[in-house]
Amino acid sequence: MGVPKVNDLSNGGGRLSSCPPVEKWDDWVEFDAEAWPRRVERHYQLIPTICFNCESACGLLAYIDKETGQVAKFEGNPKHPGSRGRLCAKGPAVINQIHDPDRVLYPMKRVGPRGGGQWERTSWDEVLETFGARIRKAIQEGRGEEVMYHVGRPGYDYIMERTLQAWGIDGHNSHTNICSASARLGYVLWHHADRPSPDHANARFILLLSAHLESGHYFNPHAQRIIDGKMAGAKLAVMDPRLSNTASMGDYWMPSYPGTEAAVLLAMAKVILDENRFDREFMKNWTNWEELEVDGFKADGQNFDAAIEALKHHYAHYTPEFAEKESGVKADVIVKVAREIADAGSRFASHLWRGSASGNLGGWQAVRALMLLHVLTGSVGTKGGHNLNAWNKFVPKPFSVPPPQKHWNELLYPPEWPLCTHEMSFLLPHLLKEGRGRLEAYFTRVFNPVWTYPDGFSWIEVLRDEKLVGLHAALTPTWSETAWYADYVLPTGYSSERHDLMSQETHASKWIGFRQPVLRVFQEKQGKKVDFTYQANPGEVWEEDEFWINLSWAIDPDGAMGIRQWFESPYRTGQKITVDEYYRWIFENSVPGLPEAAKKENLTPLEYMRKYAAFEVTTDVYKLNEKPVPAADLEGATVGPNGVVNRGGKPVGVALDGKVVTGYNTPSRKLELFSRTMADWKWPEFALPDYYRSHVHRSARDLAAGMPSADFDPQYMPIVDWPKDAHGNVYTLLPIFRLPTLIHTRSGNAKFLYEIAHKNPLWVNPLDAEKIGGVYTGDLLKVHTEIGYFVLHAWVTEGLTPGVVACSHHLGRWRMHKDDKIERFTSAWVDLKEVGKGQWKMRQITSVEPYDSTDPDTRRIWWSDAGVHQDITFPVHPDPLSGMHCWHQVVRVEKAGLDDRYGDIFVDTNLSHAVYQKWKALTRPAPGPGNLRRPLWFPRVARPAESTYYFG
Amino acid sequence: MRYGVVIDSRKCIGCHSCTVACKTENKVPLGVNRTWVKYVEKGKFPHARRIFQVTRCSHCEKPPCVEICPVTAMYQRRDGIVDFNPARCIGCKACMQACPYDAIYVDPDRNTAAKCHLCAHRIEIGLEPACAAVCPERALIAGDLDDPDSEVAQLVARETVRVRKPEQGTRPKVFYIDADESTMAPTAARHESFYMWSERNRHVHGGGAAYFLASPFLQRNTLAAYDVAHDRPWGWQVPVYFWMKAVGSGLLAVPAIGLALGRMSLNPLRDIVLSTLALIFIAATIVLLISDLSRKDRFLKVLTSTQPRSWLSKGAFLLVIYSMFCGALLLGTITGHAILCRFLLWPTVIAGIGAAGYTAFLFGQCEGRDLWQTPLLPVHLVVQAVLVSAAVLMFLPTRLGASPRSQALAIVALSITLILHLLMVAGEIAIPHSTVNAEYAVWLITRGPYRKLFWGGAVGLGGVLPLLLLFASSVSALAAALSGLLALGGLLAFEWCFVMAGQRVPNS
Repeated sequence: MGVPKVNDLSNGGGRLSSCPPVEKWDDWVEFDAEAWPRRVERHYQLIPTICFNCESACGLLAYIDKETGQVAKFEGNPKHPGSRGRLCAKGPAVINQIHDPDRVLYPMKRVGPRGGGQWERTSWDEVLETFGARIRKAIQEGRGEEVMYHVGRPGYDYIMERTLQAWGIDGHNSHTNICSASARLGYVLWHHADRPSPDHANARFILLLSAHLESGHYFNPHAQRIIDGKMAGAKLAVMDPRLSNTASMGDYWMPSYPGTEAAVLLAMAKVILDENRFDREFMKNWTNWEELEVDGFKADGQNFDAAIEALKHHYAHYTPEFAEKESGVKADVIVKVAREIADAGSRFASHLWRGSASGNLGGWQAVRALMLLHVLTGSVGTKGGHNLNAWNKFVPKPFSVPPPQKHWNELLYPPEWPLCTHEMSFLLPHLLKEGRGRLEAYFTRVFNPVWTYPDGFSWIEVLRDEKLVGLHAALTPTWSETAWYADYVLPTGYSSERHDLMSQETHASKWIGFRQPVLRVFQEKQGKKVDFTYQANPGEVWEEDEFWINLSWAIDPDGAMGIRQWFESPYRTGQKITVDEYYRWIFENSVPGLPEAAKKENLTPLEYMRKYAAFEVTTDVYKLNEKPVPAADLEGATVGPNGVVNRGGKPVGVALDGKVVTGYNTPSRKLELFSRTMADWKWPEFALPDYYRSHVHRSARDLAAGMPSADFDPQYMPIVDWPKDAHGNVYTLLPIFRLPTLIHTRSGNAKFLYEIAHKNPLWVNPLDAEKIGGVYTGDLLKVHTEIGYFVLHAWVTEGLTPGVVACSHHLGRWRMHKDDKIERFTSAWVDLKEVGKGQWKMRQITSVEPYDSTDPDTRRIWWSDAGVHQDITFPVHPDPLSGMHCWHQVVRVEKAGLDDRYGDIFVDTNLSHAVYQKWKALTRPAPGPGNLRRPLWFPRVARPAESTYYFG
Repeated sequence: MRYGVVIDSRKCIGCHSCTVACKTENKVPLGVNRTWVKYVEKGKFPHARRIFQVTRCSHCEKPPCVEICPVTAMYQRRDGIVDFNPARCIGCKACMQACPYDAIYVDPDRNTAAKCHLCAHRIEIGLEPACAAVCPERALIAGDLDDPDSEVAQLVARETVRVRKPEQGTRPKVFYIDADESTMAPTAARHESFYMWSERNRHVHGGGAAYFLASPFLQRNTLAAYDVAHDRPWGWQVPVYFWMKAVGSGLLAVPAIGLALGRMSLNPLRDIVLSTLALIFIAATIVLLISDLSRKDRFLKVLTSTQPRSWLSKGAFLLVIYSMFCGALLLGTITGHAILCRFLLWPTVIAGIGAAGYTAFLFGQCEGRDLWQTPLLPVHLVVQAVLVSAAVLMFLPTRLGASPRSQALAIVALSITLILHLLMVAGEIAIPHSTVNAEYAVWLITRGPYRKLFWGGAVGLGGVLPLLLLFASSVSALAAALSGLLALGGLLAFEWCFVMAGQRVPNS
């Protein structure tokens, strides 16, 4: 009973390894855990891939049992630079997802009316033929913008933008504006790159306005490094109205009232400014202070000190006392943290991604203010500081790049929101209802707007209208509420069942991660020929890369439309490209260092990536703005008066101390303290970081409760109109906090995850519980929004700011038929009725129950709660600048009545359309200068041709 | 070599990855856990915090589960890992009572005991346990405590570490850095009817641990935000086993004492009846014990694969020995071998004392149930056995061998034993106990879900009333008989409270 020789890892003293060594991955022997203590050997082929459960792109290692040919479990991939072999709970749970007995295994086609829930199996060929024809017709008839691809979870870089641009259409829609759009605007305005990449591991002080020790992008890799930093001595401050797990680990929990974060951050900025602890050199060299125009002061012609004085003057009223009055965070704590940040200097890291930016009107100003702290301390691009995501991300070029499309789709970027960072996706039902367009072919891709988005009933109304939505395919690994209203439900793979290439800004590095269909790779290793991934995957679960290649050929079979060429093999002229070839070309040509690394191991680049599924491109990622521009790129360049170096009409760098360095991709090539863009685009009052009172500001709440307030400004803040049956005290609802074990839709059938978390009660502070009416944990509460209500249990906790109630929007799944094999671990069987025009009522009939299936665990389901779906009762709240859906709601909370049941939902979509109009009225629409739709320098996904940026 | 674990709570973010990795590695079914993360919120806004505690088997150096297991299904490896063998387990669930840490569960597929075994199947090929390998923060560190270069040894040596419930004497080898009392003390947190994002599992056996919304055990402002429920595995069979065994083992006691004191004489009819009854009750006890096993098909292993340190094993043999003596005595009485009977009587009685009292030592091995680990228990069980003998003797009809002398003796014996029994009940319940676990069990009995059964049944109708009736028994035979019956009922009621409350104390 010794150690099997092939696996002898013991190196004396019982030192243990975390992972099998790479050289043994082709035949790794373990003892069967279930047979133990009988020593039964099991032989595994280990194949790495990338997790698909969030955007962190952590490395997974699939253990394929050689005897059964099936995946037995998932562990971490030690070769992945981001996740370093370790995973959050969702990683090992992938095995639950792929073995779920309720999985969609075959392409399904609707039979009967849309939303009727009758399906029949179809073939991929039929799908390709049908959509190919529809899309071809639309494009040929000049209706290309009626074809829309709408992505929830991408899990890839660029490939879908490429596909849509190859089709010549402006058809890319995404979920970003219900996710991170506001934070992105804040970062874009400063430095064009729209996301932060904090170097937590090397920081001395970390300020999180996020919950990165339990959720978010990029939870696992960030959580690792935040703790690395902490253990190395860094202090952690967390600003959050809720006691998140992250706040629990912080040295400071700063429970700011929602929407007041900018006031606190600017108070900290004021402390740093007033105490002259800012990095003078850095600010002088790297901000556009020379463009500063504020309170009548113009920096043009003045010196730096004068500009600083003007700044100090501008921020004079952001005293810690003012911030305390707004936020509830104590003034002395604000001062203390500000000084610690100043102490940390260039090693100050932070994060604001969703959280308050996603919840609040004007949330992007919190990011503007947060970045000001980085600018003051000189912690931009530094070790331990704030890096730009673009500096920690690497998107390799494919074999050919289609030209930008020559259309601008106003269903994606309507003129009212010229500065929105991504598509106004959540307004789609309202835009369609306003007659701004229709959809001929609509793909919801790993995307569940009926459930995840606000105002889901408006989505249902639009999706079921065959005039508005011609053909709807849900490309999804799992059943969803949206798939219910599709014409086709097309199963595409989970983490171990598809190809994708992605890179994320997880830390101070640039790396690429390669997701692969492990069973296909395994079978091909065994010498089996696999033409399509669905032949190797369970059922006929396909992967998207192959689907889109084949669909593109189906649209343009003879190449006459100019589409097919972008999907022809670079190795075999005129032939359909294979997925292998697509990535093989990239690995051979576009990833510096990869061919060399592969050669060292006598592998081709593709073989190398199949072996490791990850490659670190470089760790030289700090202060890339200071990199000199190579002389070759400066031939014929001219230097403008503000130091910006232009070549061929494009800015290439900035002159600094006699050298030309890259700078930032902003108009000034510097960090834009003063945003001329904001001034040019009708928002001069917000050209600098400032405090934008949120729609849930105390004054708004007071007004909603019937008490007018001097602080309320109707020019910026919408007025809440209550439905007539809304009763109870007024609170701010914080609905967007996440749970460490779940994602929105895909985690539904992961039994081990749902066993841990399946209930989303309403968090209430004990003071408020008393005010509502002696409420205890377990009491039923009714929460009224502007358009309806939902009924759920109270969870009374000290971990929440008074005045705020909170509920996680990860739970509350539902299905329409009792016996449908849909998400039975997680969903309630509901009775959904339209009780009037636009008036929807939902009541839970039964909740989660044990059931019979091939998995004996389905009989052991011990929980019955499916949670309560709150998102569907929220109207859309489009921020007039960032286009973000401002999630927080002003609500009325009362004890539930005798007729109310747990899980009851009611919504009036007439009211939600009215709220949409109200928020739309706050916008300052395009055109901007030069008759532009949008600033040219702003990033835009699937960027169309420059000519389309102009009206007319 | 001594394998242990360090749980570094400075780093643990409560992500539950360890929980899920363990489930997928060891194919743990829904509803049971080898490891879990308990959440407790403490403090008042804004000075509040949520504490996370990774909780599982402590891999004790002196594992009580190994000591109590009758068939070596729980065993300690030479490298210190406490492992288990599902092929041997008979499902008696004594290990679950012996464990002070809620570490053990019954696998719903195999109906055998299971728990964290430090992924011994991985350790053996040089791999960390699945939980340690997955933890994003490297907050779970497993290794050889005896290797001074190992990370665990260094952490234990250099950091401030603590273990769960050191007073149990189990010498755990799972060490916590930065643990907090609010999670370490099982009774500190208030458990509401559900948790922050989950229900409480009500499908666990026996309803799981019993919680109070208000009690002197609760720490102020301490709320359980997430926890896992654990089986309380012994059902009605065990209190009834106590009772039936008391009957079976004690029946001959009073006649034997009476004989010795010269107050009674040999009466073949009576002795046959009593011996037969004794055998019937012991047989019923054994059948009951077997019926409570989760693996009834393996009951013989208790005798064939005996683990000698277990009092469940020793008890099994004692029951067999007593049955043999009883049987021999019955045979002797039937065949009229008076000398044999005289010779066998006291050995039988002594074997009976063994059969009655061994359970105290079995319960003494139940480190997870402090109420049961009482020095009063051996004597109490013997007193109960004698009480039963007296009660039965009292309403034994004359045509089955009773006489006025035996009746009189029975009344005296019942009075004495009833008083002793009630004194011991008072001792169990009223004396302040040395641990919170025991005090909590007492609280469950006197103020919790068992209070009505205890005060009304065990003390009132089953204790004080029969005692009062005994005073009238000289006048009324009916009173005497009623007294005996009520006393018997009171015994059962007390055993019920004792067993059920004892096991419903939270241990994690």
